[in-house]
Amino acid sequence: MSTPLTDVPEGLAEVDEREGSASVSLDATLYPLPAVYAASYVLIDRAYVLLDRPSDDRIRITVMPKQLPVSPQDLRSLVGELANELLACAFRHQLTQDNRVVVETVTMQAMAGAMGAPSLADLADFDFTDEALDDPLGIAQSWEERHGKTALESKGQAEPPPDAEDPA
Amino acid sequence: MAQLRPRAGTQALFRFRPVRDKVLVTNLEGRWLLLSQEDFQAYARGEVAPGSELHRRLDEANFMRDGYRVPEAADRIRARKSFVHAGPNLHMFVVTLRCNETCVYCHASRANLDAVHTDMGKETAERAVDLVLQSTSPFVTIEFQGGEPLVNYEVVQHVVETATAKNREVGKQLEFTMVSNFALLDEERLDWLIAHRVQLCTSVDGPEALHNAQRKLPTGDAHQRTVHWVRRINERYRELGLDPTLYHVEALLTTTRATLPMWKEVVDTYVGLGCRSLFLRPLDPFGFAERTRRRLEYPRGEYLEFYRNAVDYMLELNARGVEILERYAAIFLTKILGGSDPNFLDLRSPAGAGIGALAYDYDGRIYTCDEGRMLAAMGDRSFEIGHVERSRYREITGHPTVRALAIATNLDAQPDCIHCSYQPYCGTNAAFNYKTQGSIFGRMRDNAVCAVHKGIQDYLFEKLDEGDPQVMQTFERWTTIRPREHFIQPADPAGAPP
Repeated sequence: MSTPLTDVPEGLAEVDEREGSASVSLDATLYPLPAVYAASYVLIDRAYVLLDRPSDDRIRITVMPKQLPVSPQDLRSLVGELANELLACAFRHQLTQDNRVVVETVTMQAMAGAMGAPSLADLADFDFTDEALDDPLGIAQSWEERHGKTALESKGQAEPPPDAEDPA
Repeated sequence: MAQLRPRAGTQALFRFRPVRDKVLVTNLEGRWLLLSQEDFQAYARGEVAPGSELHRRLDEANFMRDGYRVPEAADRIRARKSFVHAGPNLHMFVVTLRCNETCVYCHASRANLDAVHTDMGKETAERAVDLVLQSTSPFVTIEFQGGEPLVNYEVVQHVVETATAKNREVGKQLEFTMVSNFALLDEERLDWLIAHRVQLCTSVDGPEALHNAQRKLPTGDAHQRTVHWVRRINERYRELGLDPTLYHVEALLTTTRATLPMWKEVVDTYVGLGCRSLFLRPLDPFGFAERTRRRLEYPRGEYLEFYRNAVDYMLELNARGVEILERYAAIFLTKILGGSDPNFLDLRSPAGAGIGALAYDYDGRIYTCDEGRMLAAMGDRSFEIGHVERSRYREITGHPTVRALAIATNLDAQPDCIHCSYQPYCGTNAAFNYKTQGSIFGRMRDNAVCAVHKGIQDYLFEKLDEGDPQVMQTFERWTTIRPREHFIQPADPAGAPP
């Protein structure tokens, strides 16, 4: 049977001592989903973690410590750890969005600085059929390829006939 | 200060932190001022009178929005972040896990002397050297670690000879260092190591009784042997005509619970050995230290008290003419006072894992950092990024784990750090975060390394606020970097030893 966790506002966290599990109910508008995933993932070496959505505006995280037996104190610690990690992840999610340009720029420079230019051996192994080089919008195609015209037809259209008047 | 209602408008970006009765403010480029409470309130409220002395101070240090000097700030940030483009310069070779000593906190998960399967082979070492010399960094240091590297001395010699020979075509500024307990050193080996300019470092845990209790040799004389060789090596440097203030054995301390009340004895031991620096490193949670933590660990508040006592005493000694510096303080002060970065890999943003350093394990596996290989020895290979036999240099340094660590240790996206006045001078260790808090990002508010970094910088800014001329002079000396050029391998084969 689940009992509410003391010191936590009612309905937000409860523990089931018999089953050795605890669950936390979150306001879905307060925590971005990536933060919920990230915070839950941090616990998976210590606990089995289940996410579900009991209603549109709530996310529920249920944690079951792997190591048995489980004491009420263990469950309380796990809930506390999860709550702190949730806040850290939600805040980091926001910071990452705010400072994305700085972080990406520094990371790119650091990676480029460490990797250097590719060697001939690196280039020899490069997969030029990589999806990134596909051209679904036909940007790399010539005008003729794209519109099914021959080079001669195109040339004829592009250049004025020799007897045309000079507009100047 | 809680009553304060800041008003945006006149200030450039700043972060603040109370330091005793003052308020420390730092800006984006790492310039700082210690303001009185009244001055800080005026600044935060946007009520600094133009033409006032406070306005002049703030403007001079680029704290005012009006007249903010962007090129000056950019130059300073560029100087602080110069390491970003540099590439891996520190290459750690774990030539064996075998060790003749048993340390109660062994982070490296040492193996017994009969575990010859934990020795790095010559071919593995050669492949590792090839990768080192492909580094984009023009300066590379190969650091021999273990276990005890002297147990696999033949491979140490082979690496030195191979790397030196191959480097003649590559032309990097190449150095070697070896971290050893010296118990397996003899005169012949010392001759060779000195002739080949291998810089020698060791571990000293303080006075004899403490050292021998924590670092055990079957003969029970670990301290005596280390001390004997420290003195002998320093003597040899003097015989070569090298300046003893620059050329001497450097030693590392690992602080356990037993060390905390012995701050004076620890400092005295180092000074007595002729060491000029002491790195007051706290205990790490890797290797055997995880198992023995109940006996060895301590709250970080107690460590910081130990740190303050030890550094206060070191400053006192310096005032009396004894030159001894604390390494953490020197690293932070170089950034705070000098505006440059000494490139200590765990105290930079982003940290050096994979982009500033690589660790080559005895079996050829490559890790982003020393802690990464320590975690692997504990059964977790999360920080493995390649193998000397199979991986190309760019695959290793461009590994997704390296990228993830560069992002995770960037303090510009780290909660707490983003608002911390120490952000321009600080760094975080992803492997430590991962081990202690379950993610490479960590949570700084309850992170032990963060507590240590903040505590040390609090102490340093208190000293800067006091402004004792003697202490300022010592700090100035601690931030003066004198390169040890003797340890650079000569580019010309004529300069090489026979």
